[in-house]
Amino acid sequence: MTCNSTPILRMRGISKHFVGVQALQEVDFEVLPGEVHALVGENGAGKSTLMHILSGVYRPDGGWIDFNGENEVVFADEQAAQRHGIAIVFQERSLFGPLSIAENIFAGRQPIGRFGFVDRAAMIEESRKLLAEVGMEVDPQLPVERLSPHQQQLVEVAKALSLRAHLIVLDEPTAALTETETDHLFAVIKKLQERQAAVVYISHRMEEIFLLADRVTVLKDGQHQATLSVSETSPQELVTTMVGRELAGESFDRGAPPVDQSPLLEVRNLSDVAGSVPRRVELKEISFSVRAGEVVALAGLAGAGRTELALAIFGARSRTHGTIAVDGQCLQQGNSRGRCVADSIAAGIGYLPEDRKEAGLFLEKSIASNIAAASLKQFGRAWTQDSQIAKVADEYCQSLRIAASGIEQSVVSLSGGNQQKVLLAKWLLVKPKVLIVDEPTRGVDVGAKAEIHRLLFELSRKGVAVIVISSDLPEVLTVADRVLVMAEGRISGELSHEEATEERIIHLASQVEVV
Amino acid sequence: MTDSKENKPASPQKNSPQGRSPKKPYSRLAPYSRELALIGLTLLIVVLFSILYPYSFCSWDNFNAILRNLAFEGILAIGMMVLLVSGEFDLSVGAMASMIGVITAWLMKVAGWPVPLAVSAGLAIGALAGAMNGVFVAKLRVNALIATLGTMGIFQGISLLVGGPGITFLPESFSSVGQAELFGLQSPVWLLAALGLVVHVLLTHSRFFRQLFYVGSNAKAARLSGIHVDRMQIFAFAMMGAIAGLAGIVYASRIGTATATVGVGAELQAIAAVILGGASLSGGKGTIWGALVGVFFMALIKNVLIIARISSEWQGIVLGSVLVFAVALDSLMSTQKE
Repeated sequence: MTCNSTPILRMRGISKHFVGVQALQEVDFEVLPGEVHALVGENGAGKSTLMHILSGVYRPDGGWIDFNGENEVVFADEQAAQRHGIAIVFQERSLFGPLSIAENIFAGRQPIGRFGFVDRAAMIEESRKLLAEVGMEVDPQLPVERLSPHQQQLVEVAKALSLRAHLIVLDEPTAALTETETDHLFAVIKKLQERQAAVVYISHRMEEIFLLADRVTVLKDGQHQATLSVSETSPQELVTTMVGRELAGESFDRGAPPVDQSPLLEVRNLSDVAGSVPRRVELKEISFSVRAGEVVALAGLAGAGRTELALAIFGARSRTHGTIAVDGQCLQQGNSRGRCVADSIAAGIGYLPEDRKEAGLFLEKSIASNIAAASLKQFGRAWTQDSQIAKVADEYCQSLRIAASGIEQSVVSLSGGNQQKVLLAKWLLVKPKVLIVDEPTRGVDVGAKAEIHRLLFELSRKGVAVIVISSDLPEVLTVADRVLVMAEGRISGELSHEEATEERIIHLASQVEVV
Repeated sequence: MTDSKENKPASPQKNSPQGRSPKKPYSRLAPYSRELALIGLTLLIVVLFSILYPYSFCSWDNFNAILRNLAFEGILAIGMMVLLVSGEFDLSVGAMASMIGVITAWLMKVAGWPVPLAVSAGLAIGALAGAMNGVFVAKLRVNALIATLGTMGIFQGISLLVGGPGITFLPESFSSVGQAELFGLQSPVWLLAALGLVVHVLLTHSRFFRQLFYVGSNAKAARLSGIHVDRMQIFAFAMMGAIAGLAGIVYASRIGTATATVGVGAELQAIAAVILGGASLSGGKGTIWGALVGVFFMALIKNVLIIARISSEWQGIVLGSVLVFAVALDSLMSTQKE
């Protein structure tokens, strides 16, 4: 491509510090005009933070940005970045659902006609042209919420075109797309390239990077790792560069994995039933089992269907089909209609959700109330005995070492690690046979993280089947006796504790053949 | 929801090491700051007006009058508190009270049903109509504001259809109950006290009612804790309906007449009182005694305005300001928590 021209973007020594985390450390990043530059790295490597700095959402603590011939530009906010010609299509779309495509493309800068009114005809005509450029033939007056995720994405690209953006950032654009839609998007990207627009492409998927990108920059733990020419590297090298890190010195005395135990949880042919509303992830023919005393990790990329699988097992996902049995007792046979979370809990399944603030905690309620939430019946069928709740909550605060001033403290004021321990206590209290924990240590500091790992491990050795969903690969390798890797709603592979390495998991998750 | 939120730059407190924030000494009364502030304010007004108007304000008759007048809204406020704890509210309760009042009166006067049967039927219709509100909100996911605004219109219309200009000269056995007195207090006041006590005990001690706090605090987390969120909300609405019906029946019994407009505006009074008394529009908190203090406070304000001979136009202005102040306080306190 146009490799010997001067970079359109040059980010130098960018640092960004959040309380407790060095998100970026002196990162350099250069993009040439007309190139597709892939940005890769594990979860938490700092890709999104870097792009948020580029788009003016965050101010860097150190370093500077040269863009399009201007030196040391400062983007005070997103509008400023937009005016300079930087357009970002984030994973979470930033469109206005009920407004028309045209209104979205020209949000805040509608063409003005006579009398200072919006010139609707011009706006619609211009939108039609832009949509044609991204290969869409739809009425620009259609509300955006009626479009498919792919079409919405293209509307954002069209918006970027109308801004005459010199640099377009696409953040995991294919996460929700089908194969044909992906092909279509790639064609649009090629077209952008021909217009000398630079594209920064964030993705986990190796094949896409090798199909599309000219160069690739690897971030790891907030640091620039390497910038490679795609033609001179291989998926293997890239994965190694992404991962190449020392593992935390955390390990458990495993003992013999409990092979002879009969499975506590058995899932057979679990699939989503197609409905009128398309879903982001479709679960497809999932079968696996977990024995008593075993920790099984569910690994995979964002959108692989891990959380969805957990919710389906827990009875919190509608329209699923398949067989789920706990301890030999069938919970679901065929359609899930009628099964509810309470039944699952009664059968001995616990689920600690991924987003603890949104779906786990009763934030303004006390520690005691939170711990008792899923087991109120234990404290009296008709009348709840507060003294018993207090006693049990006290015991858990001691045994899990929850740092709080007392069980009446509201959980909103606890640290992330302690909040997570409260949730753990809540589910330990139901005496589960199967415990599913979804990202149990996200946003938790290192000390509490190790404690939670130990708790989960000990729990499994007491005869509970533990399923850990995690995007944190070192965590997966530390706690799991067995790793199930998911990709696109299926289980794409299974690795024993001995077989599992970060490379193998990433390969299975991004569906690259292991060489 | 999904595992897509990659390297989110973690809000500050998430990553803060343990114990970084200084531990505040915990006070058992802290969650009731609003209720306690209101009690303080109430006492202040009582003391102030006792000094200013020692004869007209500070008398048993006046106190009795305040209680008599707050019974109707007090009963509504109890149901509203339960509903707000579950995170919802109901604008149709005033119209519901009117409707059940006239339906019950019609059943005993026009249809000739025996009084106990007519009253039971009225309460049942109230519960059913309330459950309908609940189904709209919990199952059909209509916003409570819209759903109950709609049913408010419907109930008001039915009240006018059934009640017309009013159903007067209700049976003696019915109206004598509402006018009976015990220890100098009218029966509606006693009923309010009894209902308040029962619901207070249920809300603080029964397992079933306590689930409402979880539902109101975080419906999603409640669902994932095995609580039947929809059922609980429908129940809370049904209970609200029955209680509103009760208020309408009690009022009709006290004045011996059922009119179609007794409840006009009462829903807003009840919501205002309950918010003043410590409930939050976002749900999950509140106490019955707080609701009753709120109701008493509003009745007290009305009373002192009359005593001080401030023209009645000011009533709306003062009570309106109090409501706005209460909601502002609510949002101020909840944003401070963030």
